[in-house]
Amino acid sequence: MDEGLSGNWMWRHPKFQELTSLDVADSSQLYSAFLVYLDLAEVRQWHEVTCKSCDNLQLIYFEGREGEGAPLQLVVPVQCQCLLSHQWLRSVLSLVSPDGSPHQSVLIVAVASDSSLVYHRFTDGFVTPEPPDHILNTGKRSGRRKRPRV
Amino acid sequence: MQQPSEEPERNAECSEGTSGEPTAVRQHESPPGGGVEPKEPLIQLYLADSIPLLWRSAHVKVARERLGVVGAAVGSLARQPRQNCRLSRPVQLLREEARFLLENGRAELVKALKPQNYEQEVQSYAHYLERNHEEQQKFALEEKKQVLKRVMEDKCKDGAAAPSSIQSVKDSLDSLESSFTFPCSAMMVQLCTARARFSYTPEERLWLSAELANPVDERQKVRYRVFSDLREKGYYLTSAGKFGGDYLVYPGDPLRFHAHFIAVCVPLDKETPLSDYLSLSRLGSNVKKTILLCSPSQTDAKFVHYTSIQWSGMV
Repeated sequence: MDEGLSGNWMWRHPKFQELTSLDVADSSQLYSAFLVYLDLAEVRQWHEVTCKSCDNLQLIYFEGREGEGAPLQLVVPVQCQCLLSHQWLRSVLSLVSPDGSPHQSVLIVAVASDSSLVYHRFTDGFVTPEPPDHILNTGKRSGRRKRPRV
Repeated sequence: MQQPSEEPERNAECSEGTSGEPTAVRQHESPPGGGVEPKEPLIQLYLADSIPLLWRSAHVKVARERLGVVGAAVGSLARQPRQNCRLSRPVQLLREEARFLLENGRAELVKALKPQNYEQEVQSYAHYLERNHEEQQKFALEEKKQVLKRVMEDKCKDGAAAPSSIQSVKDSLDSLESSFTFPCSAMMVQLCTARARFSYTPEERLWLSAELANPVDERQKVRYRVFSDLREKGYYLTSAGKFGGDYLVYPGDPLRFHAHFIAVCVPLDKETPLSDYLSLSRLGSNVKKTILLCSPSQTDAKFVHYTSIQWSGMV
């Protein structure tokens, strides 16, 4: 029972063993990938999360859907201190989905040394940002209203 | 009142034309492909120690409205010098903007003119000042007469004024023509603030003959390729130093739109830690702009790869 509560439970997890069997990444990458899998499957409750590997790029990645019937998304775990080039990012974007079409965007998950995860979306081309929710009125009128009336 | 600013400027422009030097430069910088003559006059690009500047408001207007080159005003406003919220000419251009204008044949580099003899202009200006002085003297004399007449009439109407005071005013009125003095220091001189040139002292001439250096390192080449590609796509670009990027990318004139993107120019194969991309994208999400990673293609001279980075915000 003690063994079940210790850290060794991770190595015995079936998904972790599946990732190890893909035989593309080193132990630290395996650990990052497993953390991302747990986050997607257990915390965010994504559907149909499958793990894939790419020999050329030496990486493990996941494909899954955010909800029932949602489009398939590409999720790539990367350690924070890794050095990346724009060329590498373009190669990741060219990874194909099961139906043969390349993904337009990819979610890169930065895994920090304290196991916290940050998701960033990388998209090919120009993505216009969301407009601001409201325009802050910085005119003189609002300034006068804020001053206390004696 | 006359407009003295027109005359000296016109004389100076005539001498520019007759010296022949700007015309020679214009022929050298004719647009590539020969044939079609530009319908608009070329923008004159001045260099101050290799910083490109536009001095004439007409050229600033053409650059901004027709060519999408915005620049940044760096001069002080003549009527509001003690502030730097609203600045005026000259407009400083980015190195890439200057190169873009020159390579597309829309601008010419103006070097400092050789030392010229401006004696004729100086003499005509001295004559003009003399004529001005005579006219002002006449008007001042007339005005003084009117004032004295009015004083006398008031005193006469008053009735209580002493006859001696009335007499003294009358005396001064009579002797006005002979005793009136209008020194040159009392003259009003209009100083024109509309000049668009340097004074061409020897030190300034040296400073102005700096060359616009072609891109010397990889970074400048990358920046220029991205600039010309984005400009051709119709975006307006300004410097993005305060956001830690290379350019701010606007869908239209910066006065009418907020920037949509912060362009970061990197060579395609340069390796950067992921944490750098993260800090850029968090900054971008805070200021409601998308980070645009731009890298010129290594195989195609005209193509540039673009990747947008957004913080996903999945919490």
